[in-house]
Amino acid sequence: MDGNYNNYNSFGGGGGGFMPGETNSPAGGKTGDRDNKTLRPVTVKQVLDASQPFPEAPFQVDGADVANVLFMGQVRNISSQSTNVTYKIDDGTGEIEVKKWVDSTTADNMDTDDGKAPGDGKSELQLNGYARVFGSIKSFGNKRYIGAHSVRPLSNINELHTHLLEATAVHLFFTRGPPGGAAAGGNAGGADAVMGGADDYGSGQNKALASMSLVAKKIYNLLKTEPQDDTGLHMQVIASKLNMPATEVARAGEELLGAGVIFSTMDEQTWAILEY
Amino acid sequence: MSLQTPRILPSHLHAFHPSGASSNTVRILGTVTALHGSTGTLTCGNNGDVTLILKSDARLQVGKLVEVVGKVADLEGGQGYGIRVLGSTEWGDPADCDYKIYEHVVNATHKFKPIFYE
Repeated sequence: MDGNYNNYNSFGGGGGGFMPGETNSPAGGKTGDRDNKTLRPVTVKQVLDASQPFPEAPFQVDGADVANVLFMGQVRNISSQSTNVTYKIDDGTGEIEVKKWVDSTTADNMDTDDGKAPGDGKSELQLNGYARVFGSIKSFGNKRYIGAHSVRPLSNINELHTHLLEATAVHLFFTRGPPGGAAAGGNAGGADAVMGGADDYGSGQNKALASMSLVAKKIYNLLKTEPQDDTGLHMQVIASKLNMPATEVARAGEELLGAGVIFSTMDEQTWAILEY
Repeated sequence: MSLQTPRILPSHLHAFHPSGASSNTVRILGTVTALHGSTGTLTCGNNGDVTLILKSDARLQVGKLVEVVGKVADLEGGQGYGIRVLGSTEWGDPADCDYKIYEHVVNATHKFKPIFYE
């Protein structure tokens, strides 16, 4: 599965090399595999508004890298070519072109249309009917389009509506932090700063945290909520609790240490929250 | 910027009236409850009715759930607002749709404009 997936990843999969300036990106810069495999529910408008920190970089929505996106909309145009089918999809928030490459080999087991040859899906899609699309954001010249992995007809209207709500929920997650009282509160993208979030930090720390990466906020939150003794938590414990690679935790930890929000206790890798 | 068609409920019609709004093309979901020649009635859950001004080639059926894309317009004889239908998508049996979800969608899309309509 992993290998398969990488083939679809337009950015070459994996974390890639270090790029100057990347560490400043709100999503934490060099994202690990974990972040690169996400499938985000979005609106077409979000795709059109997605930013690219530098050419060839992964697109960002709400300050977080996106590899794959999922959206639903009406098919406004279908144009079949020998190598691909191009659809124009309109979801009420905007319009975008979606290219689905015609796969001559039948090995595409992501297509679960029972017994039908891949690429056959287009015959089921009707003009002005609804489709659900998942793929990755690409650009060619100044034009943005979707390299689709799957374009399928949508038959249940509830699915369309819940998708729009899901896209909203994910947008809020990235701009305001996780839901609940102990929310990380900070703002990953800077888009919705006015709406704020749960304000449960000391005022000074809050400011420092606001500009930090999502991982750093998660670590801070864990240190705040997890039962522990005076010596705090070891990096490895944090990594396993957050289910993240240790390297990522280490980097975010340095960010927190540097800002003076946490301090090391027994050794360099054991941290506790610095409370005034 | 491509054309946007905000999802609305009958109570929002006035906000998209041609006299005030910059865009007056909207999307609305409801059940067709009556057809009288060039007009029809769309019932939007418990949110009231909307009069549809139909095109001559409209093929709506009473009792079906439809999503209409159209322009907000004045009704003849000053009977308030209606929607001039530009296109419609049939979604079958209204019982298969949870209208409450649609109401939440309308609320969410207007509350979080940056990702939907702006």
